[in-house]
Amino acid sequence: MSIIPENLNYTKSHEWFIIKDNVATIGITDFAQNQLTDIVYIDMPKIGDTKKIKGILLTIESVKSAEDVYSPVNGKVVEINNDLNEKPELVNSDPYKYWLVKIELSDNNFESMDYKKYKEYIGE
Amino acid sequence: MEVKKGIPYKTELNNDHKKLNAKMIDFHGWEMPLEYSGIIYEHMAVRKHVGIFDVSHMGDIIISGNDADKFVDYMFPSKVSALNINECLYTSFLDNKANMIDDTIIYKLNKKKFFLIPNASTIDKIYNWLLENKNNYDVDINNYSNNISHIAVQGPDAYNVLNDMNIEIPENFKVIYHKINYNNVLTGNNNIMVSGTGYTGENGVELIIPNDIASEIWNELLSKIKKYNGLPCGLGARDTLRIEKGMLLSGQDFKEDKNPYEASISFIINYDHNFIGKDKLLVAKENYNNIFRGFILENRNIPRNGFEIYSSKNDLIGKITSGSLSPILNCGIGLGYINKKYNKINDIIYIKIRNNLVKGRITRPKILK
Repeated sequence: MSIIPENLNYTKSHEWFIIKDNVATIGITDFAQNQLTDIVYIDMPKIGDTKKIKGILLTIESVKSAEDVYSPVNGKVVEINNDLNEKPELVNSDPYKYWLVKIELSDNNFESMDYKKYKEYIGE
Repeated sequence: MEVKKGIPYKTELNNDHKKLNAKMIDFHGWEMPLEYSGIIYEHMAVRKHVGIFDVSHMGDIIISGNDADKFVDYMFPSKVSALNINECLYTSFLDNKANMIDDTIIYKLNKKKFFLIPNASTIDKIYNWLLENKNNYDVDINNYSNNISHIAVQGPDAYNVLNDMNIEIPENFKVIYHKINYNNVLTGNNNIMVSGTGYTGENGVELIIPNDIASEIWNELLSKIKKYNGLPCGLGARDTLRIEKGMLLSGQDFKEDKNPYEASISFIINYDHNFIGKDKLLVAKENYNNIFRGFILENRNIPRNGFEIYSSKNDLIGKITSGSLSPILNCGIGLGYINKKYNKINDIIYIKIRNNLVKGRITRPKILK
């Protein structure tokens, strides 16, 4: 069973995000990290990059495959999690503590699921 | 005998894997464990201690009869009949154009009986290929793939585990028989085969056993490997282990499109006998352009199947066929084919990964010594 915190928003492409002071903190879900297997590299965006909803935000390399992570919001990348440069596998260990990037919102257009809907969506 | 239909196929150990909470995947129609505790963790267990793998999806075909020795020589570019009894070798089936259909391990069980292990994805193809080429040879070809399980025990502590189970240890590419309390349809008696082979580059064996006893042996191995910090290992670690050691994967590193010269396994060729594809192979020997090599990248980017390889002068010189993170070297590694003209070990190359050119160097296929 995947861990699905109640206070977060979820997308169909298995990102989680939470908005505070017009900035979205974004990561991948426990379900996603488990599907990926051992994460070995994260191809991060640059600070200042503009991202659009459902556009590619970054790419995660696992031993098994390379998977794109999509932006759940419109806006500008304002921070990346530097803890992950040397130790991307931290995302496997706790995908909710180790967020990936923060995006400053340019609007409030986003769709999301709450934890109940996401749980249903992944069939758990 | 027909190979069972219906997807996914399951090995005899399917329930044992689920009990261990393995992450199961579809591998060429087989429901197989990808990982139990993590690919890298399992990989390191095999390099440092011992790992056990269910590889029962591999095929089992027996060729027997008065002409068995002549037939196997005709079917392979290697002189299989020259093996001593209870020895095996690594070779490949070639088609009429001398391209590799499937690589295999073939054993000489006695003068008139040979046993071979095709890859899971090519069992039907190989079985039919043998029948098609049987012609007037006096041989029987029997497919036991549904009846036989395979468990690989690999790693520096593999021999200790076998000792603890009172199983004798064969030399590399030899077989020793071990008595059990079940009939073995493959050997026709109560013996299982303990084969000095593997797909990890470590010491170890592959146990070739009747399905009836597979779960019992698997669970005994599970309890015996604990003492040595051993782990059950899935196909994920099996793939990363074989890539580090430059071992080909049928259907991925070649797919009826490469000859043994290109695949860097010309050591399997012996021209002292007639075999399928021989005339074309002699032509290919002087005319091949690409060769199989290993690549080590300078960071943890991973080259994947189909990624392009460039020279330091920015010429497109080849393509990756397999890639992974090397848990031992802690960087991306790949296997693939490059133009022979650029084939200088340690030369710098660049691999195109998501619009970036990632620097690396050429190695022999056996990336990890």
